Amino acid sequence: MSAKDRPLVDTVYSKLDRKATAIFEFTMRQYRTRLSTWATLGVGALILMIVMLFYIEGMTETIEAVDNDGDSFDSDNDGYVDGQELLLGTAINNPDDHPGLLNPPVPPDPPEKWINEDDFDVKSIGNSASYGNDDDGDCQVRVGQVGFDDYTDDNNNGIDCDIKIRESFNRYIIDKDPNVDEDPDEDAYYKETVHRGFILGFGKIGFVFVLGIFLPLFLATGLIRDEMSGGTLHYIVAKPISRAEVLTYRLLGYIGLTWPYFAVLTIISAIITGLMGPGEGFFRFADLFLWFGIFIATILLSTAYAAIFMTMGVIHKYGMIGAIVFGVWEFSMAITSVFSPETTVTQLSLARWGMIIVDGFATITWPDSQLLVALGQSVTVTNWDFGFSYESSLEGADILEGFAHKTPLTGDPIIDILISCTLLFTITVLTIVIGQSIFKGKEID
Amino acid sequence: MTDNNELDGDETPPAPQQIIPHSNGQSENQDAHAQPSETLGRDAEFMGESGIGVGGQTRMEVAFGAASDDEVIGTASVAGGTKDAQMGAIFEQVYRPWRGTLNPRWARNWAIFRHHIYGLFSKGHRPWGWPTRLLLFGAILAAMSDVGLSFLGAMLGDETLYRLFGVSRDNLYGHVLGFFPRNAICFPLIAALIIGGMISDDRTNGTSAIYFSRPINRIDYTAMKYATVATILSILILGTLSIYYLANILFLGEGWAYLLDTLPLFLAAAFAGLLLVITYSSIGLALSSVSRGRFFPAISLLGLFLGTKLLAFLIYQLFDQSILYLLSPYDSIAHVGQVIIGTTSTYDHPWSWSLVSIIIMNVISLYVLANRVSTMEVTRE
Amino acid sequence: MMPDMNQVGGAPQAWQPQEKVPTVMLDHVSKWYGNIVGLNDVSIAISGGVTGLLGANGAGKSTFFKLLAGKLKPSQGTIRLFGTDPWKNSSPYSRIGYVSENEELYDWMTAIDFVATLARLHGYTREEALVKAKNVLEFVDLADVAHKELGKFSKGMRQRVKIAHALVNDPELIILDEPLQGCDPLARTTIMNVIRELGAMGRTIIVSSHILQEIERITEQIVILNNGRLLALGNVHAIREMLDAHPHKISLTTNQPRELAKKFIEHDDVFGVTLPTDSNLIVQTHNLGAVHQDLPQIILDSGCMVTAIDNPDDNLESILGYLTGGQ
Repeated sequence: MSAKDRPLVDTVYSKLDRKATAIFEFTMRQYRTRLSTWATLGVGALILMIVMLFYIEGMTETIEAVDNDGDSFDSDNDGYVDGQELLLGTAINNPDDHPGLLNPPVPPDPPEKWINEDDFDVKSIGNSASYGNDDDGDCQVRVGQVGFDDYTDDNNNGIDCDIKIRESFNRYIIDKDPNVDEDPDEDAYYKETVHRGFILGFGKIGFVFVLGIFLPLFLATGLIRDEMSGGTLHYIVAKPISRAEVLTYRLLGYIGLTWPYFAVLTIISAIITGLMGPGEGFFRFADLFLWFGIFIATILLSTAYAAIFMTMGVIHKYGMIGAIVFGVWEFSMAITSVFSPETTVTQLSLARWGMIIVDGFATITWPDSQLLVALGQSVTVTNWDFGFSYESSLEGADILEGFAHKTPLTGDPIIDILISCTLLFTITVLTIVIGQSIFKGKEID
Repeated sequence: MTDNNELDGDETPPAPQQIIPHSNGQSENQDAHAQPSETLGRDAEFMGESGIGVGGQTRMEVAFGAASDDEVIGTASVAGGTKDAQMGAIFEQVYRPWRGTLNPRWARNWAIFRHHIYGLFSKGHRPWGWPTRLLLFGAILAAMSDVGLSFLGAMLGDETLYRLFGVSRDNLYGHVLGFFPRNAICFPLIAALIIGGMISDDRTNGTSAIYFSRPINRIDYTAMKYATVATILSILILGTLSIYYLANILFLGEGWAYLLDTLPLFLAAAFAGLLLVITYSSIGLALSSVSRGRFFPAISLLGLFLGTKLLAFLIYQLFDQSILYLLSPYDSIAHVGQVIIGTTSTYDHPWSWSLVSIIIMNVISLYVLANRVSTMEVTRE
Repeated sequence: MMPDMNQVGGAPQAWQPQEKVPTVMLDHVSKWYGNIVGLNDVSIAISGGVTGLLGANGAGKSTFFKLLAGKLKPSQGTIRLFGTDPWKNSSPYSRIGYVSENEELYDWMTAIDFVATLARLHGYTREEALVKAKNVLEFVDLADVAHKELGKFSKGMRQRVKIAHALVNDPELIILDEPLQGCDPLARTTIMNVIRELGAMGRTIIVSSHILQEIERITEQIVILNNGRLLALGNVHAIREMLDAHPHKISLTTNQPRELAKKFIEHDDVFGVTLPTDSNLIVQTHNLGAVHQDLPQIILDSGCMVTAIDNPDDNLESILGYLTGGQ
């Protein structure tokens, strides 16, 4: 039977189920037989496990509650803590004046009640100018009292006992009335911020960068180059298939291996962080959206890297060294863009655009992250360490501040995500096209 | 890339094989073939030198003129007992043993070492790719940036600039162990490029056979490969450190007191640098010995150095746990380096743990290296 | 750049047989690598039958084949396979089978996988490819090891797998680059039979070797390449006759060349003996085989000690040298 009288089946599948799937399957099977593939994928999974162990440990340990405003202390030793006395109007420094002498007498509160008694009350950022709620009433009690007119409206917004939030240079500034939201729940705050910081940090560094660059380095650089230097490329290019297609289908084989792998790792991470993360429900469903964003950023970036490394391998036998040098460059740019995304030079790297995608999704998922940082920093905590005291903001605020950023392009997360995705996609396609034309003109010895 | 110009000129090659007709009659030939061991064990005398006679099978292709050298058709053996020996008489091959004097072991090792190092500068030795050589040159220049800056400070008479880049505890530490950019970009990149094909090339190309068919053992081979990598890294790390220190001492007019003050610091920094060189070489060569390509070990090395560093850093940032830094070769050395140079420690765990971690890393790497080299096939894999 | 959505290999019109054009046509083709000339101004047209391509190592055989297979771009001149430029267009590939000299295979694949996967690149469906692969493996006598991994194959089997993959599309032109290299006599015979059989089936086959005797057993039509130049082409018998007219030489290294020379000159087929040096002896003959047969006896009878026997003549270089009139 010669080629011309071979029956042609006309469904799309059977058409593609000839050359494209042949090379795709071949590439996948080739990966499967290589020890290095399993080593690479295994190390990736191992890293995930190690990091997740630290996350689980962080989420299960409890941060000791701190009485940030000191009102669980009984200054005058009359059995009533300062907070209760203040609320009921008795003197905090006079043992003979306490709520037990009031009519009817008030029983003393346990001191624990006056720890973490005034948590943050910010649910979302709207246009309203007023936030905060004086949960324990130690500000409200002074409203109308003589001499406290300025005191209860310290931030001068005309509302007593609230919090004013204003934005300045892309940062939130908190102007508080005194004794409002002054004793937050350290444990809840720490867990929320560390949970967010973890997903952002691990998503950006672990997924988008480390997996995103090392998998292509290990798995994609040799797609064509190894065949060229091994001499086995002869078998494929001697067939009636254009070299451009060979290149594309080889890359498809890489995608077929890595995308499901990324998906599995993302799902595992999403499940663990969803179950272990802080929150009222048993699972943090809202975070899934961010994990989806991390997945998108990872596959886009890793495919772009794969196309670049593969093309470098096609261009020259020293393309491998080029890939290593490029990888190191991306490494330094990735670190820079994780912690200061505004740095101009990072625009010359691909990693930065992947980070923007994650930041964009994070901004949509948690619009209040920046506010959370600002609130945490508005509380002053006195720490004791080796007998020395030092003041810091609420534990967790700096962590979240390090990892949560607004998208640096237009400020609108959706637009920035679209720009970054388009850019990465375009670079991928462009690189493939360049690789194809170089490959076509390549003499194969 | 083949390493086929090994051991240039250090030894006289063994004498070529000689063929003489068997001096005995044909009838004995057949007997000899029936008991080849007899012939094998017999000493033969040729041109005043004795050798081992090899009888039985004879390569007849010389006589029958097959042109191809991989031809085996010509190998004819005379069937035992038959009188029909017209195909040809049995020849006895006498191998004349080589009678030269073998150079001492160090000279043979030096030949291996020299072969690798000279390759950086000239042709005819181990071929290093031009990008590797170019990057190494660039890295050495980059590593000496502080020399230039302290010079600049001294030239301009700018006290602040000079203080910023002159010899100090922190600057000595920074020269060897500063993370960014030295240990983030410069040193790991060069280490990766150097170790890339160091052993794996020999595995892939079968050039290990060229080494192991010479009078050198595997320890010599491994040791010299190690010495090569360590030397190049030493030039990059310790060499530039010395230049930096000496430049500050000699040319910037510092006195004896200054020298006495800073010498211990310099030695401590040099020791930390040595740890870096040794650890990078061990891990790198171990990776090179388990692999067949030159790219995989390079990437693995970078992945190991930078990946562990990044993840440990991430965990430290998020959960304030510095224990994961023990997995990072760079951080373990940096921690020990901080202690011996005396700068502020940036790690929470005890430095002895880091020291143990370095030792474990080196031991595992050397074990893998020794194991892989000793089981290395001498054929092309 | 566009993926070939038809997936049948090239444009449909390429499938129309163009009867008038020769299968292979090279017109003043040269190929050089930097300063090294691989092929120098070669013009040849081949259609039908088995053609042997003969040449020493580095004569340009592989360059010739790589140019035909579209692996290399000619520096000068035009190449046409079925009237199409193989460098610019992959459509002729569906009508050729190319066996490269390269010995690497995908060691992890089984023979049937290897052949079937590559068959699918011709545009066959999965099932068609499997059937084709089975048939073709049977043809090269590997049916019983079809499900064995290629890594476990011997050299001869590997060569046959390589031939099998090239035959899977039922090609009109088959290019075999050194198919006999490194095979034992048995494998050689099998492969030669396969090639002869293919020739009998009316395919155009070009097979290269650097050993004249091998080519002789396969075909009568040979092309000789030397230093990238086309040296001779035609019937092997004609070339043989030229060779036989050419005296052969046997060189002996001995401690008593004169004694040995006397013995040799008595031989019927020896027509001349020369003594170039004190320890060398060159015997000239028209009948190499007969002299070689008697050689050991002569040496034994003479009682001389012979340390080396060499045929300075009997390699391709000297045949080629003779053909070029150099010697």
